[in-house]
Amino acid sequence: MVIENLIRQFLSGLSVGMVIFIIAVGLSLIFGTLKILNLAHGSIYMLGAFLCYWLTSTFSTAPGIFWWALILAPIGAALFGGVIEIVLLRRIYGWHMMYQWILTFGLVLFVGDLCKLIWGVGYHMVSPPWPFKGSVNVLGVFFPSYNLFVMVLGPIIFCGLWALLRYTTLGKIIRSATYNPEMVNALGVNVPLVYTSVFMLGCWLAGLGGSLMAAMSAVTLGMDASIIIECFIIVVIGGLGSTLGAFLGAIIFGLAYTLGIVVFPGVAIGIGFIIMAIILIIRPWGLMGRPE
Amino acid sequence: MKSLWNRIYTFRAVWLAIALIFLFALPSFLSLGHTSLVVEMLILAVAACGLNLIMGYAGMVSFGPAGLYAVGAYTTALLIVKANVPFGLAIMAGPVAAAIIGFLVGWFCVRLTHVYFALLTLAFSQIIHTIIFQWYSFTGGDNGIVGIRVPDYIASINHYYYFTLALTVVCLALMWMIGNSSFGKTLQAIRENPERAEFIGIHVRIYQLAAFVLSSFFLGAAGSLFCGFNRNVFPVYAHWIKGADIIVVCLLGGMYKFLGPFLGSILYITLDKVTVSFTEYWPLVLGLIIVLLVLFLRGGIAGFFTEKFSATTIRGSREER
Repeated sequence: MVIENLIRQFLSGLSVGMVIFIIAVGLSLIFGTLKILNLAHGSIYMLGAFLCYWLTSTFSTAPGIFWWALILAPIGAALFGGVIEIVLLRRIYGWHMMYQWILTFGLVLFVGDLCKLIWGVGYHMVSPPWPFKGSVNVLGVFFPSYNLFVMVLGPIIFCGLWALLRYTTLGKIIRSATYNPEMVNALGVNVPLVYTSVFMLGCWLAGLGGSLMAAMSAVTLGMDASIIIECFIIVVIGGLGSTLGAFLGAIIFGLAYTLGIVVFPGVAIGIGFIIMAIILIIRPWGLMGRPE
Repeated sequence: MKSLWNRIYTFRAVWLAIALIFLFALPSFLSLGHTSLVVEMLILAVAACGLNLIMGYAGMVSFGPAGLYAVGAYTTALLIVKANVPFGLAIMAGPVAAAIIGFLVGWFCVRLTHVYFALLTLAFSQIIHTIIFQWYSFTGGDNGIVGIRVPDYIASINHYYYFTLALTVVCLALMWMIGNSSFGKTLQAIRENPERAEFIGIHVRIYQLAAFVLSSFFLGAAGSLFCGFNRNVFPVYAHWIKGADIIVVCLLGGMYKFLGPFLGSILYITLDKVTVSFTEYWPLVLGLIIVLLVLFLRGGIAGFFTEKFSATTIRGSREER
């Protein structure tokens, strides 16, 4: 019984961790390249979740609508992010962190209320799609197959991102723009366009995370404020700007949180913050980051 | 225009006296509802000025002021409800407790810089939030602590207004003295150039820690005052959204002026109540205002006026880019 409970917690920790990884790696990518700590990242995630809910509920009779929503909602989130980058963030690169924090906090309020205006208060549910409707037996534990799908998708996204950054021309440009945007600009690369695409990529990841989460838990207002803090925890554990760090951080956070519920139910919510504080105190640049 | 500002600035003692008389007379021509709004403004002003000690003066951007604010509020509430401590003592214990917690938190935080400092303050603030939220048997969890009794002589709104006014004036005077002492000047030197400050023999971390503790003290004082005003305390006081409110107030008024956060809190609460009266989508409007403010008015209201009317900046203001 205890073992089965532990296995269940372990699996759900991994699946939640993978969704948060997809969101947090977007935040980390944006911070690494644009040097902006984007508080509104959680709002983009919420927007993705609401878009997914809206698509699946409006066209609920269409076959395979969830899969279409899973493609379209993140694109919608990315386009919204692109507008934000071009209209607002482009003006504040290099400013003091506090102004970036406050401006993106303004966006949190704005997007949060926009969602309230459009979709209203209340809980919305999105049912998991075919063929992941039921549960499967994993080591004697019945576990939702949708969560297993998410657990597989997380590493795929990680490998895809890693390959994108490592092997493609765009990835090389992004990595060099991280180190020295002026030099990259002088070499004839359109750095503002690179910044816009990185921000849109980050927002696409947030929107994807939102759509995936929509079928795992309720879509509701306020999901932005909690996820952004969890993303901070993960990004700090792994190291700001590191893709592999975000992956490890998400696994550590997901497991610590869900196993913590079993072992110390009272302090489980705080475990992430405690890990974050300890990492910041002893190794501020995170597990995979480099000291400045 | 410039000479006008200088003339105004020269007679600031007179203006201060006029402002105090005005504030003293205020409840006699305001309704009770409006008086309680002014109480909220004063309390928020204490919190924002307290935060400004580290943000504006010392240039340390904290994302976790709400945690220390909540420590003040909960200390007062718990002492009254659990230990039957007299109100006056409980309200003095709030800031002291916040300063002690601020010392523990600051001890770790001042070792870090920039974004890491900010994130660590955020982490500690959220830890405080979790403790308050989870410890049902002691803090009441998310039910908060309701029905805190205050003594009869400050039970009415008008009386509590004078009580808050007196404490606010004391707090602001103390903060003004701190800001203009050699200690405050040293903090500004550290803000402008920490390396150079270190080279001329200033122990930067000790100064930053001291500023953090003082700032915590005043944040705690604001929390205690609010606890007495609202007579209920809730874990949401420690949530990072509340902290962001305080930071926005600082920016709104202008961080590099002493009275900036004070003006910011007046404007913030006025905006809040005015927009709420004709739309339920107040965060939408506030979000837009914040975005526009950051883009076009980074010095805040106070910064805007001194830039327009002042011959010299009063106290080394700086637009940081």
